[in-house]
Amino acid sequence: MLLIDKLSYQSKLRYVNASEKLMYAVLTLVLCILSRSVRVAVLVFAVNGILTVGKGGIPLFRYIKLLMIPFAFLIVGTAAIMVNISETPLDAFAITIGKWYITGSRAGVYQGLRLCSTAFAAVSCLYFLSLNTVMTDILGTCRKLHLPPLLIELMLLIYRFIFVLSKTAHAITVSQQSRLGNRNFRTQIRAFGALGSALFVLALKRSNALYDAMESRCYDGSIRVLSREQPASKKEIAGIIMFEVILILIWFCNWPVCG
Amino acid sequence: MIRDKEWVIEVYDVSYTYDGNEEKALDGLNLKIRRGAKVAFMGGNGSGKSTFFLCLNGIRKPDAGEICIDGNPINYTRKGLLDVRKKVGIVFQEPDDQLFSASVYEEISFGILNLGIDEKTAQKEVEDVIEELEITPFQDRPAHALSGGQKKQVAIADILVMHPEVMILDEPAAALDPRHTRKVQEIVERLTEKGITVLMATHDIDYAYAWADEIVLMHEGKVIRQGTPLEVCSDRSALETANLEMPAVLKLHERLKEKGMIPEETVPPRTVDELVEIL
Repeated sequence: MLLIDKLSYQSKLRYVNASEKLMYAVLTLVLCILSRSVRVAVLVFAVNGILTVGKGGIPLFRYIKLLMIPFAFLIVGTAAIMVNISETPLDAFAITIGKWYITGSRAGVYQGLRLCSTAFAAVSCLYFLSLNTVMTDILGTCRKLHLPPLLIELMLLIYRFIFVLSKTAHAITVSQQSRLGNRNFRTQIRAFGALGSALFVLALKRSNALYDAMESRCYDGSIRVLSREQPASKKEIAGIIMFEVILILIWFCNWPVCG
Repeated sequence: MIRDKEWVIEVYDVSYTYDGNEEKALDGLNLKIRRGAKVAFMGGNGSGKSTFFLCLNGIRKPDAGEICIDGNPINYTRKGLLDVRKKVGIVFQEPDDQLFSASVYEEISFGILNLGIDEKTAQKEVEDVIEELEITPFQDRPAHALSGGQKKQVAIADILVMHPEVMILDEPAAALDPRHTRKVQEIVERLTEKGITVLMATHDIDYAYAWADEIVLMHEGKVIRQGTPLEVCSDRSALETANLEMPAVLKLHERLKEKGMIPEETVPPRTVDELVEIL
């Protein structure tokens, strides 16, 4: 979470209009999931990789590491679809173990592959958005989309205070460790509990102080702020539309025709 | 015509007790502050400085007594409070309690938009203040990636953008390194040049002595001494009650006089440079 945030501020695509990036990511994501086509998924995955690593300048190893997080879940999920244990061998593969077979059907294997590729492509869309767009820009776009103000204000405050509280939590942890709070399992559990309750109290205190500070700036119950936005580029929008059209063509017409 | 009035803030017998506390945080406080003055508030932790500041723009309502801003008693209706908060701005001690947005630009625009100013004008004001306080180099960084000094600059910009008549700074130099302390002090000087009345809580008596037009000593929710820096800093018993030391320059000046190294009738210096001049 904190790593993604840091990277998003360094991305070279950070100053590209946020609405464009959001539109691209959401449209592509929806097409991936609706089409369930392996070819669409492979193309999307490749393009997002090029955009994020090539254009955005996110280090490749960071990107791969981040992709590995959902990978573990995916392997477990698709393995259950692709692999069966039964007394009769299926058509794709079969390994005998005594009377039983570890086996899979072609349909099963294909379905597993499809699922796997679609999921990866979808994840790559979300990573594209979150690695190249800073949170405050996303909130700005949400405002323009007229999402409920309450939701946006909550997101704004939560985002800010994740960092404030995690800093506090870190400071408390360090001070606990410097007093041997992690000496053994018992003290560790106790220290963790103390950390939780201290954080809770601090969060309440902080929220009171924040409310005072906002009130002293004439806060009236709704947070209004100006957001600075980069102008949208027609060229980029045209590019995005082109790309989505190509995805639709691949999906419906099996284009380019092969096999 | 209101501007002609000499006193921008008048406080009469103000008392305040926090819910559930027996002790009064403010206990019959009386005070007047001249328009455009630089006033240093000094006193130990818990002497009531911060509570008093919160009373000045109507965040806390005194249990007893009256506070007048620009000669008018604070009116605790919605509109009245809006008016008072527009005139009296507070820069809080802990920037993390004040900055609510991760974006510097959004953060600064909050106060001025609350004044009901149109977005175009607000935008210009925000950009002006960003430039004026030299925030430009880090304006695109998120709040959590700013240093303490930078956060303080943003916190001051938050208030300055609203063009207050009175600016309250609650220990602005707390937890800052010397370089950023100087920077904040420079900014404070500029505020005074703009004609803003500056009230500052500080524990640095040397700085208060050199900077302020007036020093207010507070102790247990009361003003125990108010006057020019020289008056207050020469009052040993008041300083002792507030647990403060005499400014180093003044102390040295007295010692030198005792030793006969400088004549008796010299005007006490406010800075080291002035002392050297006398010597």
